[in-house]
Amino acid sequence: MSGLLIERPLPHGGRLVERVVTDKKVARKMIQGCPTYEIKPTLHYETGVPVRNVYREIMSICYGFFSPVEGSMKQAEVERVLKERRLLNEWIFPYPLVFDISKDDLNKLGVTVGDRLCLTLKGKPFAILDIEEIYEIDPEELAYKTFGDPETNPEVVQQKFDKKHPGWVIYRSHQPYVLAGKYTIINEPKLKPPFDRFWFPPRKAREEFDKRGWRTVINHQTRNVPHVGHEFLMKCAAFTGDVEPCHGILVNAVIGVKRRGDYPDEAIVEGHEAVNKGGYIKPERHLVSIVLWDMRYGNPLESLLHGIIRQNMGCTHHMFGRDHAAVGEYYDKFATQILWTKGIPSFGFPAPPTEVPYGLKIRPQNMREFSYCPTCKEMAYSETCGHKREKLSGSFLRGMVAEGVQPPSIIMRPEVYKVVVKWWKKFGYPFCNEKYVINKEKELEVDLEDL
Amino acid sequence: MAYFMVVLLDDSRMAKLRGTGLEDNIKYMFGGELRLLEVEVSEELKDKILAEFETARVDSRGAITDVPVAFMRELFNQVVEKKSLGPEVVEGVLAKVDEIKEMAAKESEYLPPPDIETE
Repeated sequence: MSGLLIERPLPHGGRLVERVVTDKKVARKMIQGCPTYEIKPTLHYETGVPVRNVYREIMSICYGFFSPVEGSMKQAEVERVLKERRLLNEWIFPYPLVFDISKDDLNKLGVTVGDRLCLTLKGKPFAILDIEEIYEIDPEELAYKTFGDPETNPEVVQQKFDKKHPGWVIYRSHQPYVLAGKYTIINEPKLKPPFDRFWFPPRKAREEFDKRGWRTVINHQTRNVPHVGHEFLMKCAAFTGDVEPCHGILVNAVIGVKRRGDYPDEAIVEGHEAVNKGGYIKPERHLVSIVLWDMRYGNPLESLLHGIIRQNMGCTHHMFGRDHAAVGEYYDKFATQILWTKGIPSFGFPAPPTEVPYGLKIRPQNMREFSYCPTCKEMAYSETCGHKREKLSGSFLRGMVAEGVQPPSIIMRPEVYKVVVKWWKKFGYPFCNEKYVINKEKELEVDLEDL
Repeated sequence: MAYFMVVLLDDSRMAKLRGTGLEDNIKYMFGGELRLLEVEVSEELKDKILAEFETARVDSRGAITDVPVAFMRELFNQVVEKKSLGPEVVEGVLAKVDEIKEMAAKESEYLPPPDIETE
């Protein structure tokens, strides 16, 4: 192969983690005599609203999205992640991931190191946790250390984190005891429609890329229904590649706990699919997929996790925009770009994550934005077009949708709008409201059969 | 500063607007793809809107935004009814303020979807 051609990278850590038992007989044997624990959503430490469900982490770990992580982290690993953003096996990783439990539940369970715990979900056996360590955490300290602060991380952190930050709230709402050890899924959950057709765990994604003849693939991270600005971002970013543009565009939607005002997950995935069904990007070149994860909104840290997930899925490139996975002004709006082009020494990156030992291979593609230029009479790139442009803001568009006014096709494709209205009819609301958030966390994205 | 509110126009609203004599006042954005009207708001009416609806705000152009959807729908109804873009339109909306507030309270639970084919 020519030296100019980019090859698909190996998974982060060198191999895909796959911890899913598919033989029910074997699975039943594995949980024989084990104490059971029903997975509970993490509730906001003040309001009691669901903010996370650890089942999503178990799914993403066991299906290899978070390779090389294999389970709930031990105390030494959490400390290393917080200090250097590295696992004990040296591979870079941005966030602590733990199975947290209350003191009452721990006492009731009476488990100890060496025990196997059967985790149930919606009342059905789901996974096992082989307990290697039990330790106590201070959730508030964990929350602060996870995201950094202006004194320790002056390169990118602009303000102290607080309860207005949803990621900080997730860690602050953790229970104080951690059961550390490897997870294994022993009863494969079935993704519910419409999520089932977007479920491409890393092995399946890599196989799909092979089937499609995609050597180079650029990922588009999303938590939004696509407007035409997003579509142009995808189309144009895909011109990055090697000797030819990227063969494929992978849209990977983060599916997890929602915030009020977000579009429903169902509308997001089907909205992206409508882009290819409508032919705006050929389906042969565009694939919509999901990952289960309750976003931490850690801007540069989140981008690192996104890089890991998409490299594991087989992508060669990753688009990163301004304010990537950000909320508020806690981080510099270009913190992600700083990480991927220069590094952030205080977070353990004296160089970009692609240039440090045990780092990533996926290539960052830092894009700005597209908006309509009435002079050029087309969607124009902010760093190229010299005219005054009409900006496409998400809130402007949301206001239009809420009013029941169909956005013109230069802003939102009619096929995408139809998807928004389809789910609006189903939920009685175009965006996530309290009812949607509560129901979603009750029903989750999966169902389980009896084992 | 002159204040105004933007009324967005899609095909269904354009049909209702026909014959009101307001067609010449339509403004265009996004290469003529987005049609809109601007309704005049006096200083006094602007203050009333801000006092009645806590989410309402005035942006840097003088546009009043972030009012409930029920307000915006009634704003369009009043434009058609009054065949005007003058302050009497917002006056007409504010005359129904209790009804709008009641609907706004329910807005976080339910918003009527547009009547379009989705399958």
